Amino acid sequence: QDPTAAHYMFQDDPFLMPRNAANSRLYSLSKESGKNAAKYIIKNFPQYFDKTFADPNVPCLMPETLTPQIEGMSEEALKERIHLRRVKESVDMFDQLVQAGTPVSLETTNSLLDLLSFYGDGESASEKQEEAKEDLEEPGVNASEQKAPKRQFQRGSQSSGPRWRENNHAERIFKIMPERNAHSYCTMIRGMVKHGAASRAYDMYTDLLNERHKADVHTFNALIRAVPYLKERFIERWELAKEFLTHMAQQEVQPNLLTFNALLKTLRRCGGVGRSMCLMVLKEMEALDIEPSLATYDHLLSIFYRGVDLPPSGIISEVLDEVEKRDFTPQDPDDGKDFHISDNLHWCCDLKDIKLAYQLNKTMGKGDNWKFLDVDRLNGYWSKFFSLLCMMEQIEVVLKWYKEMSPSLFYPTPKNILDLLQALDAADQLEVIPSIWEDVKQLGFTRKQELLEEFLSLMSRDQHPDEIQLAFAKCAEDIKAAHEPAGREQLPLEWTGSTLGNVVVLFSRAGRTQDAWTMMEHFQQANRIPTDKVMDEFLSCAKQTNCPDEAIKLVKLAASLGLPSSQRLKSRTEEEFELSEAQK
Amino acid sequence: PLSPQTRAARVRVGKGDKPVTYEQAHPPHYIAHRKGWLSLHTGNLHGEAGAAERAVEDSFLRRFMFGTFPGLLVDEVVLKRRGNLLVVCALLGRALPPSKIYFLVGYAETLLSHFYKCPVRLELQTVPARVVYKYL
Repeated sequence: QDPTAAHYMFQDDPFLMPRNAANSRLYSLSKESGKNAAKYIIKNFPQYFDKTFADPNVPCLMPETLTPQIEGMSEEALKERIHLRRVKESVDMFDQLVQAGTPVSLETTNSLLDLLSFYGDGESASEKQEEAKEDLEEPGVNASEQKAPKRQFQRGSQSSGPRWRENNHAERIFKIMPERNAHSYCTMIRGMVKHGAASRAYDMYTDLLNERHKADVHTFNALIRAVPYLKERFIERWELAKEFLTHMAQQEVQPNLLTFNALLKTLRRCGGVGRSMCLMVLKEMEALDIEPSLATYDHLLSIFYRGVDLPPSGIISEVLDEVEKRDFTPQDPDDGKDFHISDNLHWCCDLKDIKLAYQLNKTMGKGDNWKFLDVDRLNGYWSKFFSLLCMMEQIEVVLKWYKEMSPSLFYPTPKNILDLLQALDAADQLEVIPSIWEDVKQLGFTRKQELLEEFLSLMSRDQHPDEIQLAFAKCAEDIKAAHEPAGREQLPLEWTGSTLGNVVVLFSRAGRTQDAWTMMEHFQQANRIPTDKVMDEFLSCAKQTNCPDEAIKLVKLAASLGLPSSQRLKSRTEEEFELSEAQK
Repeated sequence: PLSPQTRAARVRVGKGDKPVTYEQAHPPHYIAHRKGWLSLHTGNLHGEAGAAERAVEDSFLRRFMFGTFPGLLVDEVVLKRRGNLLVVCALLGRALPPSKIYFLVGYAETLLSHFYKCPVRLELQTVPARVVYKYL
């Protein structure tokens, strides 16, 4: 893998390559928006794109046909609209058919109910753009005053997503259905749980039992997921979940992977009860020969690592061993979202275990596992990994990783740079600092106050051989430029006493007296007091370069600022320099 | 030897202030000697069909690129066909910020892929200014 190249979605050109995390996100998003613009054109002018001259035909490059073909009222037309996922039109068509008296078959009604529960009375994404925004109505989950079925098309509140309301289309259609079978009940329950009406789902489930129908696996999964919203106390939640499981066993429905994952998700919200139960759940899964997926492990880990003051168990290493042994394909919709690999790394950091982190890294490299992390999370993952490395490893290893990862795999955050500086400090390799400063300039962090202070204090703490001092002084000059008012609207950064002092020290050590004097003048402007060390350094620099005038100016400055050391400085000046009478 | 009345693809010598790129400076009898081809496909080999279609596609693609990247194309667009893949290599100037260039790249790639029913890839190189070979 080439360590200097960016991700393959970017063009390989120094002007077009992203330099930091913000840029890489911006470029990838702008490329995506270009693709969306092209898709919009293709959708609106399909007549230019639908000639099939490729042999064999490539269906994914043809424009999609989204308009319903069959006009008029009939059941086939309704089926087609359902197939094309046009919610509003299918509901209208259904109403028209019912009013005209044509019987609509049970299957079609069921598929209409499926569509409505899936979309929860909101529209599918493409139709949302075409409709104008209507007034926001309040969700009334327990509104008993709403009796008449509303014909108007309502929208849920925008902030919490589409919610299930009383007497919306799905319920209305459900009520007027002449016959219902198990499938209808199941879809209704799943829709209600998906859109947040958990108590209604429970009522519907009791209706289902009264009618002596059998629910299927997906319904039970939905009900188990809804348990935390139905009961408050942990024990009650667990009891309810167990009740659902016994019903499942009675109705001879086989649990599958999603059942167990839903169970574990519920147990996450059950606190202490969850911790004792989840291992038993895992044993059940193994007994039934269902392979756990990544979401399972994630729920497990979060149950155990929820509280900070709990003693860390060895479970994370066991889980990692399991994960290493097999390749994972996404099976659960929660897989990618919940298996926060960066969170796992976070736990590794808390445990300060570098070996676990390496193991995690190796598992990521196998097979398809990188697909679980998208580009944003990837940066977070690598930055945590790098912080862990800086804390725990030797400096050579850290520098090696830094060189390999830095422009290609991830973009260091300011915190990463601070960690790197501390590691360098601990290993006493401060001569690498100028090259890191170059990287910082490239990344665009030159205006971060903490970073600048850290750089300056590290550079000015000890004496160094001369070439390094020159390099340090150059960095100091760059930092000074950042503090001055730039031509654009950016406000110049405020000088603090320590940064000013450090800059003076660095300039003095490199022998740049004039620059050092300009910095000293800044002291008065910025209302700060230089420390004694700064004054001494400046004096020795002036002595080296043989400018007694500067020394006198310094003494005058010290006197004007009323420093206690001005007397000492005066005597030192008189000793070390050969002054003419006037100057005395 | 060529007749002095040939005028194809030649930039006539002027006062010495007209900047001319390498591609423009060399007349067509230098192709395969000092120049390469601008469009590479197998249509002109013995026994292969489709040369005319490729020529039409080429001209469309050149106009499309000239229009989508307004004022940015520094030199001619080079088209390479490898199997089913169409690689469009263009040399751009740096007048636009990179995010806008990426927007145009994404747009051009998807639109051309859907239009020609084959994967199209855009490979760009940016150059600070037009690369002048000599002044004629």
